[in-house]
Amino acid sequence: MDPYSAEGELINIHSAFHQGQYQEVVNFDTSALSSENAIPARVLKLRAQIALGQARNVFDEVKGESEPELQAVAAYAQLSLGKTDDAVSAIEKLTAENSDNATVQVLGGIVLQAAGKSDEALNLLGMHQGSLDAVALIVQIHLQLNRSDLALKEVSAARRWAQDSLLVNLAESWVGLRVGGDKYQQAFYVFEELAQAPSTSTVFSLVSQAVSELHLGRTEEATAALEQAVQKDPEYSEAIANMIVLSVITGKDPEEYVATLKKVKPNHAFLSDLEEKSVLFDKAATKYHPKITA
Amino acid sequence: MTSSGMLTKFESKSSRAKGIAFHPKRPWILVSLHSSTIQLWDYRMGTLIDRFEEHDGPVRGIDFHNTQPLFVSGGDDYKIKVWSYQTRRCLFTLNGHLDYVRTVFFHHELPWILSASDDQTIRIWNWQNRSLICTMTGHNHYAMCAQFHPKDDLVVSASLDQSVRVWDISGLRKKHSAPTSTMSFENQIDRANANQTDMFGNTDAVVKFVLEGHDRGVNWVAFHPTMPLIVSAGDDRLVKLWRMSETKAWEVDTCRGHFQNASGCLFHPHQDLILSVGEDKTIRVWDLNKRNSVQSFKRENDRFWVIAAHPEINLFAAGHDNGVMVFKLERERPASTVYQNNLFYITKEKHVKSYDFQKNVESPTLLSLKKFGSPWIPPRTLSYNPAERSILVTSAADGGSYELVNLPRDGSGAIEPTDSRRGTGNSAIFVARNRFAILNTSSQTIDIKDLSNNVTRSFKPPIGTTDIYFGGTGNLLILTPTAIHLYDIQQKKSTAEFAVNGVKYVVWSNDGLYAALLSKHNVTIVSKSLEQMCTLHETIRIKSATWDDTGVLLYSTLNHVKYTLLNGDNGIVRTLDQTVYLVKVKGRNVYCLDRSAKAKILTIDPTEYRFKMSLVRRNYEEMLHIIRTSSLVGQSIIAYLQKKGYPEIALQFVQDPTTRIELAIECGNLDVALEMAKQLDKPKLWSRLSTEALAHGNHQIVEMCYQKLKQFDKLSFLYLVTGDHNKLSRMAKIAEHRGDFTARFQNALYLGEVEDRIQMFKEIDLYPLAYMTAKANGLEEECQTMLEATGLTEEELSMPTIGQPLKPPKAVIPTHKANWPTKATSQSVFEKALLGQMEGLSIEDEPVAANGFADDDVDGGAKDVMMAEGGDDDDAAGWDMGDDIVPEIESSFVNVDSTEAGGPASSEADMWARNSPLAVDHVAGGSFESSMQLLNRQVGAVNFAPLKPRFLEVYQASKTYLPASSGLPPLVNYVRRTIDETDVRKVLPVIPRDLEYLATNDLQRGYDAMKGNKLEEGLRIFRGILHAVLINAVGSDSEVDEAKKLISSASEYAVAMSIELERRKLGSNEAMLKDPKLLKQSLELSAYFTIPKIQVPHRQLALFAAMNWAMKAKNYSSALSFANRILANGQSNKISEAARKYKPQLERNPSDAIEIEFDQFAEFEICAASHTPIYSGTSFEQCTFDGAKYHSKYKGTLCTVCEVCEVGKSGSGLKLFA
Repeated sequence: MDPYSAEGELINIHSAFHQGQYQEVVNFDTSALSSENAIPARVLKLRAQIALGQARNVFDEVKGESEPELQAVAAYAQLSLGKTDDAVSAIEKLTAENSDNATVQVLGGIVLQAAGKSDEALNLLGMHQGSLDAVALIVQIHLQLNRSDLALKEVSAARRWAQDSLLVNLAESWVGLRVGGDKYQQAFYVFEELAQAPSTSTVFSLVSQAVSELHLGRTEEATAALEQAVQKDPEYSEAIANMIVLSVITGKDPEEYVATLKKVKPNHAFLSDLEEKSVLFDKAATKYHPKITA
Repeated sequence: MTSSGMLTKFESKSSRAKGIAFHPKRPWILVSLHSSTIQLWDYRMGTLIDRFEEHDGPVRGIDFHNTQPLFVSGGDDYKIKVWSYQTRRCLFTLNGHLDYVRTVFFHHELPWILSASDDQTIRIWNWQNRSLICTMTGHNHYAMCAQFHPKDDLVVSASLDQSVRVWDISGLRKKHSAPTSTMSFENQIDRANANQTDMFGNTDAVVKFVLEGHDRGVNWVAFHPTMPLIVSAGDDRLVKLWRMSETKAWEVDTCRGHFQNASGCLFHPHQDLILSVGEDKTIRVWDLNKRNSVQSFKRENDRFWVIAAHPEINLFAAGHDNGVMVFKLERERPASTVYQNNLFYITKEKHVKSYDFQKNVESPTLLSLKKFGSPWIPPRTLSYNPAERSILVTSAADGGSYELVNLPRDGSGAIEPTDSRRGTGNSAIFVARNRFAILNTSSQTIDIKDLSNNVTRSFKPPIGTTDIYFGGTGNLLILTPTAIHLYDIQQKKSTAEFAVNGVKYVVWSNDGLYAALLSKHNVTIVSKSLEQMCTLHETIRIKSATWDDTGVLLYSTLNHVKYTLLNGDNGIVRTLDQTVYLVKVKGRNVYCLDRSAKAKILTIDPTEYRFKMSLVRRNYEEMLHIIRTSSLVGQSIIAYLQKKGYPEIALQFVQDPTTRIELAIECGNLDVALEMAKQLDKPKLWSRLSTEALAHGNHQIVEMCYQKLKQFDKLSFLYLVTGDHNKLSRMAKIAEHRGDFTARFQNALYLGEVEDRIQMFKEIDLYPLAYMTAKANGLEEECQTMLEATGLTEEELSMPTIGQPLKPPKAVIPTHKANWPTKATSQSVFEKALLGQMEGLSIEDEPVAANGFADDDVDGGAKDVMMAEGGDDDDAAGWDMGDDIVPEIESSFVNVDSTEAGGPASSEADMWARNSPLAVDHVAGGSFESSMQLLNRQVGAVNFAPLKPRFLEVYQASKTYLPASSGLPPLVNYVRRTIDETDVRKVLPVIPRDLEYLATNDLQRGYDAMKGNKLEEGLRIFRGILHAVLINAVGSDSEVDEAKKLISSASEYAVAMSIELERRKLGSNEAMLKDPKLLKQSLELSAYFTIPKIQVPHRQLALFAAMNWAMKAKNYSSALSFANRILANGQSNKISEAARKYKPQLERNPSDAIEIEFDQFAEFEICAASHTPIYSGTSFEQCTFDGAKYHSKYKGTLCTVCEVCEVGKSGSGLKLFA
């Protein structure tokens, strides 16, 4: 039986992880779990720790471990520490022998994708045997490659065998935000449900809700949700990044948030992208001159 | 007289049938039996629908209600029962009769039932309130039959007391009709009283006439449907006809013939005939006018008890000792024949008419055949001789007779034939211009006669010949019950024979190549040499058939028009509400004759059979035409195409991928199959596709399939046979990764890598094998190492003989580089033609094409690109069809591990630039270069630096960051202003600070700055507005106008503010007052400050400042002009008060201390660069974007207002709305 399924032992910790409740995951009592679920639960805990910014500790913890799962976690931790090349080579080594290990697939997929090796990542993840984590990653990678058609296909396939799973709902919403139209509203419902229930409300879900509202053109609601998120975690970079976008859309000055973002996550995509475009602008602008300069 | 004309349509076997009733609409008949059962039959299908058994003892009376789903029965149990045939049960029972109930009938409009009983009464019941409303007494023996008059308030009854009585029941109707609301009190009293008088007897129903004449009991009596006639049948074996007037009734005549009790009789509903039945086992037909017997039919053993007529159609039913027979008196098929565009037919009045199919008109009567045959027997067949314009008519009368007559050249009324030739014979047809054939069935001879009716030739046809038909020149088709023969008249012998049962009609196709043989339930199509093409069976009777010009046979059954192709494909064309006889098909019109011998046109949709026909004939143009023009798409046609082996055509109809792939594989269209397989991505499909592709030699697709299926072994072998050494090596590596030793060994073998094999054997501790391998390949050193490692010597080993080392063959031709050459085209003509039509649908690679365009973007004009995309879409698409698929496949082949074809696609941001000709959408999409290009072309923008904040603002607003999987960067989504749009080719980005926002926020801030005298800030704000509008989009044309207003307004403010700012830069007021040159300049600028068209309150400010400054400089004349203008603006506030105050002083001294260049009366505008007047009439240059004016010398400089555009550079104008 799939330990992550509704009846499985890991459903709670798994859901918590994917709702961004990382501290809850770390605090999760795993002592009662059956032995075969111990490793996956530990992996989830370790991933949550990494997500909470404790990659160094995690790496130290699993450095010498022999289980492929933990080795994958080690590689993933390295990635989080910025040692992308080391992470990739570790993963490549690992996948050569353990390509059918679900954890290796998922973490390997993340590492490879993060290193820009989307094809390899997709190949690795494509070997999954009914792992929703893998599906979600595949969907995300497809979306990052702007192949929403493939993403949609992946989601609808998954929906067939894992109908009501949280991850499928999330993945579908991710696709929905690309597709737009009615799908915006559907995605909003999914995120809102998570964000508004006290037990599942996290910065993660609040930001997701805000993003869907933003796409729906409901700027006021989006602002409220984002402010809530910023309140929860003033250093959550996605909340700040989206706050910038929202400020710009509503005609406000985003400088304050830009400064904050520069502080919390100087390498955020928004900033690097903006920098890149700024350079591009300057370069492009040089092509034009008035005939006569005063 | 024989029963020749009577046609039995249905017969049932049962116990004695005592009562019969036809359903008025459906082909149903109710039969009440002596055995107490009531049967409901479908006489058309010959099936027993239902049985009703609640009566005790014989059931004699039965009747259908003519509108409700009800029927009534009366039996020997004294009961009258009303039934619903829908719920199939007895609704209620009417009790009251004290003896057998003989007949029961519904009233045609009132809710009444009339019953006659052996208790000598006739009763009327109301079946709605289920009560007895009238009892008619008077008969002094059994009342055998009683019927309502079809229209009047009359009842007729027959009794064994030998009388027939006519009753007037108008009183009953009056009493039971609903009281009207206007009824007076007196009327109500009358009405009540009238009821009371009832107690004395039958004032409701009074005997009107008593008809005496039968000298035995009378069994049956009936009204004529329209005339005041009554017919009765009695035990005196007589059928009597009575007539009545208002006041009296009398016997008209007697029909004598029955030689036993006459048990039933009735009037023919449409014809002047009487029908009667009797215990002498006969049905007799009498001429109403002559009272002579017209026809009679005798049954061997069964006495007849009852007869009934269908109210509408020509059908009768008679009940006898062993069941019921349904029959008609005569054939209703009008004799007809078609020659070219004319139909010749004989009407019910025995008039010969023709009908022109081209003009759709009926001719007047050409000829009357009144005298031919028997008056009650219609002609059977008609044969036409165009050469002589003569017809040959046969009739069943007198044991079969024919008549040959010439048709008059023009019909001019009912003309009796002047010159006719007659003879006896059952069938007569023209076989040549001057010859016709006569079949005599009784003597079994066929005579060939000339037009003078002389026999030229005579012969014996095959035994049992029933009919003859034309069989092609010099030939006859001879029909026997079990076969048809093609008979050569010259040779007098049968040249071909085809065994087929019961053929009644033969219909030749228009080209004479095929004949349709119709029997009761079968259609058989044979060629002209009697080879069977197809045969089909119908459960319902086949009535007629005719051929379409394209060789499709249309045939009619009792209720359908159907078609069949020569190959036996058939289907329904339309339904019929009445039986018709098809004579001709032309386009969408089917011509036919109905039973009243009227020509009719039925419209049909021939699409289906035409499509199938063109499919059979591979007439693709026609098919294409049908597909284009009709809505012929459906599961059935697809299934049909597939079944018929045209999957490639069916493919064109199908959208559903599952079906498509099936069809594509079936017809070997690998490209489509691959496309669909990718879409569906199911192992089963991949495996099917691989088999098919392998058969085609398309190993690239095979490779892909194996990859999808992860069939490593097969992949390895494929690489081996195609000589793809590189990939084979990769497979070896993969096998190693997978830890699959068998696969590794296999690959090593394929690759000829001995070391690897040895290494592998060693890894899995198979040293003997490793040693052997090394030895066999002469790797002595390796052998030595192994021996040392295992501590053995060579001598200790016993080795088999080792032959030549195994060397895998090297591929001579690099097959892997290209697919096996296949036949160039598997596309049918049809497919090609169709592809031309459908390419629009099957384009999936448009982005690729668009990419090409996007690259052009940089060089060419973006605007042109948009145009090109719109306009040339189709051409470009047509092109992609062939070329794009192949490279895509190849690219994924290179990557063994690739699971998905195709790399990243272009993002939505890229789409925006493609979707829109607006600069702002390019900016949002990050396509800064193209947007700059657009702006340069539209408004002559050359200095983009000031636009940078706006560019980045728009760009920043375009994307959101959705946190997704932990560990990966957030998902970027693109914010749209087209929120409801999902078509990526139509989506457009969100625009921060749109027009509305600018008007309500920035503009107000600008005004505030003006009011607050914060001119630097104001100038910045207004420039900002200009920049924001420049990079913007609006939703409608009216908004475009608003945007233009905003631009010019902002521009005016910017000019005004910069003028004043320049003046302030000159120095402090004190300093200026000291320097006349500065003062002059300052005065001029302050005057010019009043010129731009800014809002009135703001203009007042400018005027006020100018006035004050002018006064300070003692330029009273100018000051006065400003004061006047302030007052002219007509607002009352501090400024105008001041102006009013100063005005008198100024008027006293209207002179200027310093001459300035400001003509208060001249019309001029201010040059935005030099801030000097541009008088009207002098040439000037403008900024294309903001409309600021400049002296001509500033052409080519940067606009000082917007600081973006080049002055005087022409452009297409700012585009804000696509």
